Amino acid sequence: MELVKKYIYAVTNKLPEQQRADIEKELHGLIEDMLEERTQGGIPTASDVEAVLLELGNPSELADKYRGSKRYLISPELFPTYIFVLKIAIAAICIATTVAFVVETVLEPAQIQGQLTSYISSIMSGIFQGFAWVTIIFFLVDYKGLNKQKLNKNSWKPSDLPPLPDHRVKIKMADPIVSISFTIILLVLLTFSINLFGVWFSPDASIRTVIPIFDEEVFRGFLPFIWVVFALNILSDIMKIILGRWTIKLIAFDIVVILLHFVLAVFMFSDSSIWNPHFLQQIAQPDLIQHESDGLQFIQTVWPNATQGVLAILGIILGIQLITTVVKYFKIKDLT
Amino acid sequence: MDIKETINGLTQEMRRGTIIIGVLSQLSEPQYGYSLVSILEEKGINIDPGTMYPLLRRLEKQELLESKWDTNETRPRKYYLLSPTGKEVYRQLCQEWQMMTVSIESLIRGGTGDGVS
Repeated sequence: MELVKKYIYAVTNKLPEQQRADIEKELHGLIEDMLEERTQGGIPTASDVEAVLLELGNPSELADKYRGSKRYLISPELFPTYIFVLKIAIAAICIATTVAFVVETVLEPAQIQGQLTSYISSIMSGIFQGFAWVTIIFFLVDYKGLNKQKLNKNSWKPSDLPPLPDHRVKIKMADPIVSISFTIILLVLLTFSINLFGVWFSPDASIRTVIPIFDEEVFRGFLPFIWVVFALNILSDIMKIILGRWTIKLIAFDIVVILLHFVLAVFMFSDSSIWNPHFLQQIAQPDLIQHESDGLQFIQTVWPNATQGVLAILGIILGIQLITTVVKYFKIKDLT
Repeated sequence: MDIKETINGLTQEMRRGTIIIGVLSQLSEPQYGYSLVSILEEKGINIDPGTMYPLLRRLEKQELLESKWDTNETRPRKYYLLSPTGKEVYRQLCQEWQMMTVSIESLIRGGTGDGVS
């Protein structure tokens, strides 16, 4: 009878709480009835119990029948795209952490043991995070987006049909894939290896030094905002992969994401606390100067204007993106 | 051998649509799940209990059936009975069924005759 209890538990434990007790009682009665018919009133043996449970079939299938539907985190329609994006994300994370590891090993070959440990731990946590984020994003897309479509099925009109693919509205698959890869690589490097962003010196072949340009602590404070903006960027790329063509909504979302990038940049560089405060002293160390004096002068002139410079460069890049996106809007406005 | 599988699949599909009317037809008297399975089996309609029990719950949720636990017997059993709505639904389903059999019958018998040529 232990087996019967196990079976009933396997069916009911994933069912809604309020039905559980009732279904449990009902199943118990059913199995006893089936056993009774099988043994004609005798005492059921273990093999009788087994045969009856086999007849009832796989408990999770029975639970599905009780529930009336199967449950998914990611619906079957989206699953292939989900796996596809997951592969890109995991690959990008592996590439980024490996690049960081190789660079750090080249910088300080003596520390290889510690670097290897941190490489393994960051690649593990990176894969885990990537997996979690992609899954969350797809869950939201599925839950918010497709369910709405399903609800609309009742009031479907022929005018709802998407237009035939036009080369002007079609999104080349390569674009979002490249974009996702770069975003993730940058994300990983900014998160785990911000100290590698700096000015590199190699006074002689065996020693290499990096003078970091950012204040690590201040920069870390901005990381959550960076993650959110980058996640939105990845979300927009995923939508591009799923839809395969430009829509007005997608362009609007893209514009919002570009503006958010700019807001984030202004927010991060609004004061100079993000820069390494000891940068100029560190860079002026005598053993570095002899070899790089021209470069040093250049850096010393550029450094005080770094904030404006970075903002200007980012502004230009984001401005160009914004313009091309708006132009795209006018191109496809009449086509969608 | 493939043709047998195809026939099996198609037959099952046809049967699936008739399960509900079969179940409703026997519920003007209260029955519990397993007794229904046996009754229908005797009349040549096979529904495995794993399908019957969830189906009864679904029909109850759709308010076609009413249920009551009977705890007087050796083991507690949940008895199902047609609700007033269920009776009306069953009556109309029967009409639909009659019309359908007439239509299909005339399609099979009329037209090309044996349905092959």
